[in-house]
Amino acid sequence: MDDQLGNEEERGVSEKLAGAEAAERAGVSLSTLRRWVALGLFPKHDLSEGWGPSAIAQARSLVKLRERGYSIEQLQEAIAEGRLVGYADELVAEMVGERFTLKQAAKQSGLKAEVIEELIAAIGLPSGALDDLGAEDVEMFRHFETAVESGFPRDALLQTVRVYGQAVSKIADAEVRLVHLHVHEPLLRDGVSSERIAEQMDGITEELLPLFSPVIDHLHRRFLNHFVEQDIVGHMEAESGGGEIGQVRVAIAFADLAGYTQLTEEVGDEEAAGIVERFVGNVNQTLPDEARILKTIGDEVMIVSPDSASLTDWAVGFQVLSNERPLPRIGIHCGNVVFRDGDYFGREVNLAARVAARAAAGEVLVTWPVVEMAGKHLEFERIGEVQLKGFSHATELFLAGLPEGK
Amino acid sequence: MTAQFESTEQFRAVIDRAMTLMSEDPVMGPKLRDADVPQRFEFDDMDLVVNARAARQGEHGNLYWEWTDDVDWEPKVKLTMSSEVANSYFQGKENVPVAIARRRIKAGGDVKSALALIPITKPVYGLYRSMLEADYPQLVVQ
Repeated sequence: MDDQLGNEEERGVSEKLAGAEAAERAGVSLSTLRRWVALGLFPKHDLSEGWGPSAIAQARSLVKLRERGYSIEQLQEAIAEGRLVGYADELVAEMVGERFTLKQAAKQSGLKAEVIEELIAAIGLPSGALDDLGAEDVEMFRHFETAVESGFPRDALLQTVRVYGQAVSKIADAEVRLVHLHVHEPLLRDGVSSERIAEQMDGITEELLPLFSPVIDHLHRRFLNHFVEQDIVGHMEAESGGGEIGQVRVAIAFADLAGYTQLTEEVGDEEAAGIVERFVGNVNQTLPDEARILKTIGDEVMIVSPDSASLTDWAVGFQVLSNERPLPRIGIHCGNVVFRDGDYFGREVNLAARVAARAAAGEVLVTWPVVEMAGKHLEFERIGEVQLKGFSHATELFLAGLPEGK
Repeated sequence: MTAQFESTEQFRAVIDRAMTLMSEDPVMGPKLRDADVPQRFEFDDMDLVVNARAARQGEHGNLYWEWTDDVDWEPKVKLTMSSEVANSYFQGKENVPVAIARRRIKAGGDVKSALALIPITKPVYGLYRSMLEADYPQLVVQ
């Protein structure tokens, strides 16, 4: 009896479902689902033998649209015009199929239920996801279980999946938004019908999705190799002195466009966004190999590098090449920082941000540790001891540049 | 040990081939032509100057260049560097802003145009290295 129950629990049902179960999967009551069928919201689905994945996907889409305030009449109109036939349905359809409860997933994967709960929260999926896990989720938990069994620390695993969740959700969000902006909207402007757009979107998804996953996998390997190399260099440097356990020594630069807020007033959001895009692109294209953009916030870029001297050289050279308004302003500081969840934290990071905020257009402002590490080819003009916001002690600041007359 | 050119003639021949690679590349060439940024490169150790611009109607390829300052156009960007830095740059081993800070490259004129050209010319690195590996292996920078 237990075995029978166990088998039923272990495997979700993948064939057509009865109305009650379909309603549960879609997150709606059975009576509502029946009403929607009667109102003709599933014209392309044969529901005589039960609910297939595509029909359940459409039901989920309808639930989401109702939550966003669309009326039944609007949904009927959209379905009649073919606007709900598209890539979103295809994507959601993939999430339907074999389903597992948390208990089933724990049994299948070997991970404890509470660990799965922690992982789902770390990834950033809504807690409701725990009630509706797919076969690929279970497969993912099995990989996690293997990692834990192999001795990968649980805390490190949680931090890793948190970074994955943030990065991958950003990728997916960007893909959908960029396809919408660059494909969907131009088609709409050209007067293409909604139904035709839906067909186009369908094609794009089918063609591009299989291409994107290997690209992400390849880039992951490339970056992994890059950072493993840097870590090896970091170990060698730590052995030769400097660096505290649990912290990493990095140079941190913040760069933004001086007067950007005023610029948005003058030229409008679209043009200002284009200027920021070029600025971030120029930073990205010109950084030394060992430096990287950690994140961008509006027109501000945070850069980290294990090599303070080359980052300072880059900043000075970048300012020479940037003679068009709005001019960048750059602040650099280096020190020991805490690395958590793919980001850098601590007093030194805050200090670097404050230094940048003090820089004027076209300037590179740096702290004494940066001056100490810099090459002799640069000149540093001492600004003085400056009281930076949030810091109890004054910080000695220097203006970095090329020597006069050279 | 740095990779050095045997002679001025060899340097000129190699840079001519690098320019041809950029001019005739189906991706880089049209982009450089559209960017339309006349550039003057001075190679101070070789006492050589090359002026380059977008090809005009009827001229072959996408770029046109002459090894002289006696040209009928004004350069927009002026870059001065040694033959060693030029060779290193074309192999993707010279970061332009860093080289400017270290005075390995001196930049003048409308330098923001030079910034815009950096991503366009990146594909030349691989092509240039392949050319060196085939014909001038002693110039490959490790």
